[in-house]
Amino acid sequence: MVYLDFAATVPMLPGVLDAMHKAENKYFANASALHTPGHLAMNEIEDARELLAKAINAKPTEIIFTSGASESNNTVIRTFEGHKIETSPLEHHSVIEAAKKYSGEKTPKLYSYMLANNEIGEFLDIKKIVKEAKKQGAYVHSDLTQVLGKIPIDVKELDIDYATFSAHKIGGPVGVGALYIKEGAPFEPLIIGGNQEKKRRGGTYNTVGIIGFGAALKYMLENKTWKKYDGEVRSLRDELAERILKEIPKSSLNTDLQPGKSLPNILNASFQAAEGESIQLYLDAEGIIVSTGSACAAGDIKPSHVLMAKTGDAEVAHSSIRFSFGLDNTKEDIDKVMEVLPKIIDRLQKISTIKIEEK
Amino acid sequence: MENEDWIYSEKVKEHFLHPRNFLMGDESNFDYDAAGLVGNPICGDQMKMYIKVKDNKIVDIRWKTYGCASAIASTSALSELAKGRTLDDALLISAKEIDDYLGNLPKHKFHCSVLGHEALADAINKYKNGAH
Repeated sequence: MVYLDFAATVPMLPGVLDAMHKAENKYFANASALHTPGHLAMNEIEDARELLAKAINAKPTEIIFTSGASESNNTVIRTFEGHKIETSPLEHHSVIEAAKKYSGEKTPKLYSYMLANNEIGEFLDIKKIVKEAKKQGAYVHSDLTQVLGKIPIDVKELDIDYATFSAHKIGGPVGVGALYIKEGAPFEPLIIGGNQEKKRRGGTYNTVGIIGFGAALKYMLENKTWKKYDGEVRSLRDELAERILKEIPKSSLNTDLQPGKSLPNILNASFQAAEGESIQLYLDAEGIIVSTGSACAAGDIKPSHVLMAKTGDAEVAHSSIRFSFGLDNTKEDIDKVMEVLPKIIDRLQKISTIKIEEK
Repeated sequence: MENEDWIYSEKVKEHFLHPRNFLMGDESNFDYDAAGLVGNPICGDQMKMYIKVKDNKIVDIRWKTYGCASAIASTSALSELAKGRTLDDALLISAKEIDDYLGNLPKHKFHCSVLGHEALADAINKYKNGAH
């Protein structure tokens, strides 16, 4: 199998699985308990917290663990219930939907702008947003889910007030995330009714999951994964892009490949007149795993809001495929994709009801 | 890391990987009497059916699509079921008949099979109304 859907989920790293298996037996106790097993579990959680703090240049006290990026995003947006909330059109639904529900007219305002988008991989101009926010005394939240591990992160340098993270995008388990809350920034817990996380997030600590997140962070820091992403992974991504444009007629890129313009591991491309879900499943049948911006589910056939915002063209969105790379992909993977993709696209274009525009 | 969509029955997979009665390339490649078109590319789902009719029977059929995997598989099945039937008989082919023929589409994909039906009905009605 050629797995190219790392932006959706990174398979758990061996070190993560190992740490979690051990933790299941060793750190079973409720981490809030005052007895020895409880303390031991809490120590592990604090170790993970310190690792994340180190990874993003924050204080451990500025970090809480959550059930994932969607909860982290919801928590920040909900804190600003009734306030002006501005988001970019490229945000994850957990930001966009929450902002729609909770925004009002009060100040200070909250800006929620991700540093890099998950579907096309492109960077947003967060510096400009921060500058604008400072002028107004507003606050800035950034969803860094896709960015963690891909480029170095420094929340102090970014000068943001909140940041969202997710474990399963760096090889940790699904169901664990984190939220950076700058010291002194306004905060309201989303889940109340517990003293956990210094009353900032109720609910028994997910000790095993957090330990898994910690193991993934340890791997990331020790290997400085962003270096490999910027080198080998970027080269592979660029090579696939180049070959697609050269070998597949009527193909186009939705990702700007220039360094500094996009994450090095994401490539979004469109294939005129070929429908994305069919492309995805013909690739799947060949053992190549990708994702598409054309989701056809139960009568709701809306194209990706991100691709609509980027291209303004529903057909381009419905014909899009996202290839997202991980640390283990190889040149052979690219060869395998290019062995079958041109044939799949050719066939879908030939049977398409959409006439291909001749230039 | 199996894709759950491959929980599709073997028959769905067969029809998706090897669809019957595709119209490859330009539609002038097939000598048809009437064609029906439904859906639109903005919604990411479009289907066109072409029928060749003799003595009130569908003697041959082709189709083109800009649609998802389930639409491809179910329309392939529909084209096989419709071939050789009278126009009125072909109109009676139900979504359930296709579903049975394919050995069940996933429930959330059932609506995709409707597209082929509507395109076929459109083609038959156009033929009957003398639009051929």
